[in-house]
Amino acid sequence: MVFDAIALSVGDNVATVLRAVSAGDVLRVKRGDTIIELAAAESVPMGHKLALGDIASGAPIVKYGTTIGEARIAIARGAHVHVHNLRSRRAAQRAD
Amino acid sequence: MGEFLGYRRPDGRVGVRNRLLVLSVGGLTGPAARRIASSLRDAACVVLPYEAGLIGDDKAIHDRAALGLAGHSNAGAVLLLGDNPKVLEQMAGQIAPLGKAHAAISMDGCGNDVFEMVARATRTGARLIREMSRLRRSTVPLSALTVGLECGRSDPSSGLVANPLLGRVADALVDAGGTAILGETLEWLGAEHLLATRARTPEVAADIVASVERREAAAVAAGVDLLGTNPTPTNIAAGLSTIEEKSLGSAAKSGSRRIEGLLGYAEAPRGPGLWVMDAPAYAPESLTGFVAAGAQLILFTTGVGNSYVSALSPTVKVSANPETCARLDGQLDFDAHAGFLGQEAPKALAERLLATLTDVAGGTPTWGEILGEGDEVVSRFGAAL
Repeated sequence: MVFDAIALSVGDNVATVLRAVSAGDVLRVKRGDTIIELAAAESVPMGHKLALGDIASGAPIVKYGTTIGEARIAIARGAHVHVHNLRSRRAAQRAD
Repeated sequence: MGEFLGYRRPDGRVGVRNRLLVLSVGGLTGPAARRIASSLRDAACVVLPYEAGLIGDDKAIHDRAALGLAGHSNAGAVLLLGDNPKVLEQMAGQIAPLGKAHAAISMDGCGNDVFEMVARATRTGARLIREMSRLRRSTVPLSALTVGLECGRSDPSSGLVANPLLGRVADALVDAGGTAILGETLEWLGAEHLLATRARTPEVAADIVASVERREAAAVAAGVDLLGTNPTPTNIAAGLSTIEEKSLGSAAKSGSRRIEGLLGYAEAPRGPGLWVMDAPAYAPESLTGFVAAGAQLILFTTGVGNSYVSALSPTVKVSANPETCARLDGQLDFDAHAGFLGQEAPKALAERLLATLTDVAGGTPTWGEILGEGDEVVSRFGAAL
């Protein structure tokens, strides 16, 4: 089975890309045991994450079937998900 | 599989190496200890830089770690060096029941003459090596192994492939009656609820959660933003975004078996099975915590590459990042990139890594041993006088 990105749990809303991806690339994403197709909205370096659907600002980001933080801003399907739009919910130092 | 060739020690424990441990108890004799060890074959040098002025819990933990290293089963003999003859005498008295060859040489005993110390200790060390070298390896069960589980300079391939791979090997070791230790408390943050569900008792579950909360509170109290600390800038560049994400990948090293209990730093497990150690995450401190607790081997995953290994316990380096495996050929002991590319099934990878682990246990050197890497660093837990 050939795929370009992987989400280990079916409940994940992000997938990890297994190769560097360019905007417009149509990716085969292994999500649990199935393959879905998704267009990358922007370039994503190998090993980084991409949104599997639209994610509202403040909504949890889920990887490994578990919350890894929340969206700082609204994130569109196919977008790169990293420290610019995802933040930890733990050990928070922020005033807001 | 199921057995390996090891060194049976008089106290019943098993070593995977037969080294002369040159242990400097205190930093004053550290440079001399390094010169002595460098001139003797099969010597491993460990320098404990702190000694006089340690107090309270910091001293208690330091002394436990020092004794754990001095009595380590990978050492067939021990040469203790230091400035304080009383400290050496006490330590020699504590390792005597283990039945291994040892000697202690102090600065006072050498008239504070470093030339005299190096000459006497080198002669004594040579005699100890001759004596310990008479021991031969014999077949021992896998259950004799205690393995520390570490990751460092991680990337997303660590959490997706390499750490779950260590988890499968940890499961196999535990099922065989062996012992595995997960440390790096901060890297349970965000995964602690999952670890807690595997605890042997509700008390152990509460210990796990409380130890994470203490680290989290310490970070907040110190005004530290974990982003850029843990995950590190290296982790972030590689694609890890939050401590929770890193932790979920990191905790996968522990596999799926029951967690027997929470250990303090450098505290030996009270029986076989999977244990967790409340300890700093930085590899030099973390590895020494495992080694001083009795781990004879370390399994250590890396994403982008990490050359650090233990001085006393062979450290098997594993990576699943295809680019890292190609770039660091000759520095990584196990190439798991086929797992990252979906070309090798998790079960096959785990069987191959367990075979590598038993091979190293039986005497095949790791790249870290061949390259002469290796150190031990005992954590500090308070200010000295």
